[in-house]
Amino acid sequence: MMQAMVALSKRELIRFFRQGHRVVGSVAQPVLFWVLLGSGFSASFQAPGYPGLSYSEYFFPGILLMVVLFSGIFSTITVIEDRNQGLLQGVLVSPAPRMAIVLGKVIGAMAIGLLQALFFMLAIPFLGMDPSFANLLLLLLGLVVAALGFTALGFLIAWNMESTAGFHAIMSVFLLPLWMLSGALFPMEQAPVWLESIMLVNPVSHALVLIRLPLYHSTEVLLANPDYLTAFAIAVAWAMGMLLLALRQIKRPDCSAPAPTS
Amino acid sequence: MISIQKLDYYYAVKKQPARCALSDISLQIDPGTLFTLTGPNGGGKSTLFRLLCGLSLPAQGEIRLNGLDLQHHAAEARRLTGVVFQSPALDKHLTLLENFTIHRDLHQLPQALFSSRLEEDMAWTGLAGRLHERVGTLSGGMARRVELVKALLHRPKIVLMDEPTNGLDPGGRRDFLQVIDRLRQERQMTVLMTSHLFDEAERADQVGILHQGTLLAVGSPSQLRDRLGQEMVVIQGKDRQQALFLSQLLEKKPGLSIHHRESELRVEGIDSATLNNLLTDHREQFQTLSVKKPTLEDLFIHLTEQQRGHSS
Repeated sequence: MMQAMVALSKRELIRFFRQGHRVVGSVAQPVLFWVLLGSGFSASFQAPGYPGLSYSEYFFPGILLMVVLFSGIFSTITVIEDRNQGLLQGVLVSPAPRMAIVLGKVIGAMAIGLLQALFFMLAIPFLGMDPSFANLLLLLLGLVVAALGFTALGFLIAWNMESTAGFHAIMSVFLLPLWMLSGALFPMEQAPVWLESIMLVNPVSHALVLIRLPLYHSTEVLLANPDYLTAFAIAVAWAMGMLLLALRQIKRPDCSAPAPTS
Repeated sequence: MISIQKLDYYYAVKKQPARCALSDISLQIDPGTLFTLTGPNGGGKSTLFRLLCGLSLPAQGEIRLNGLDLQHHAAEARRLTGVVFQSPALDKHLTLLENFTIHRDLHQLPQALFSSRLEEDMAWTGLAGRLHERVGTLSGGMARRVELVKALLHRPKIVLMDEPTNGLDPGGRRDFLQVIDRLRQERQMTVLMTSHLFDEAERADQVGILHQGTLLAVGSPSQLRDRLGQEMVVIQGKDRQQALFLSQLLEKKPGLSIHHRESELRVEGIDSATLNNLLTDHREQFQTLSVKKPTLEDLFIHLTEQQRGHSS
């Protein structure tokens, strides 16, 4: 299973790096978001509980989340391309376990997002943040768990879509609002009650906690923080749930309709 | 060996009863046979192909590949099956070698075995020197050959091919079919291919004619041609009206089977007296009249018209 999984993941990465426009786009978009929104809101922004925090710094965990989420999910668009080009059928008729096919695709797509996130993490010292090595590992773990869950969600949606245009449309009305309502753009405390309720049940909000808190709290404080531990448990459960749903989806064959009753 | 028993498949249609795509298909293909499934587009070939690949499940019936029930032993059955799809299942962003390597890993082939087989198989493709080039740089014919090498790397006992010569020029088609035939004999493979071209089906050991989801006939090309028996007369009328006139004239004769399409008539069972009568009294109504041996296409036309006659 491992051999098939690694082969399919590696393929995603090779494809990504051979398509220059994808590499440029995936780096340029978050940079533009960060620079433009960071500069635009810096004068008017004040985060409760974080005195003196600039908007660029507040927005930084949101950008990291955006990178792993958007990059991972949009990389699963290759599921649709592969099916249209016949590549997917080629994989499905092989004896490789279905779990290896799901994990191969998801881990490959997730790795693309994580590599970009690692690139963005180089900015951490320049923002005045000084997380310990253990915290950096926890941050990375948070990114992995978040990416896994939402990339599996992308796989699940892509599996049922016939066109890449349809996938983009679904993602624009679904993923973008989820990310916007995660606390990435504005703190939950500043939102009206009705919006806060939505943000509380939004799985992306919990993923953001896993990314934001390791940048500001010591490891000991973090591991004793119920908010962090709850968010971690929810993010892991979400990732497992999405992976299981994706597996169930790929295992379900295209069945004949029942014979009409005469 | 491929064994298909009483296979039915239906497509769901919105607000209408399900449409039957395959009905009561039973077929036995012996080991080492080259079997061509032919018939017009939309006849059910691709649906049957998907079922044979295990990509779809039937409403009822059973498929066994070398004795393995495809529904319950899918992974084992896939290990002994090689599949060539209508459009090559190759990643154009990857090199030939990278595509082959993915196939190696999906089938868990040891590296040494993979390398020796790849060297052996690439020798006949004429592409051995291009292993490190991207698939996107290959022509359609080359990509087909690469796809075939990939499908055979794990040395399958059964090879399934869906319209494998689609998009190839006549020379490329001939070469591809020759390679298939040679490899099939060398490696004792059972090959099932679909084709809507009757002349391709003529090369097979066994042919199945599929039309509107029903298997109309199965047999060797000569057995199938013999079903039409005697030679047939093909008359090319001067125009549609003249052809219609001749058709109406011949319909009055008992024992004749007439197939009329546009300005062409195909007549089976014609006797010499009727033939003489046509040549002497009605010469001005047709351009050409030829006597020919029936082909699989003639049999197909005969069977479909027979089926139409039964249903009307």
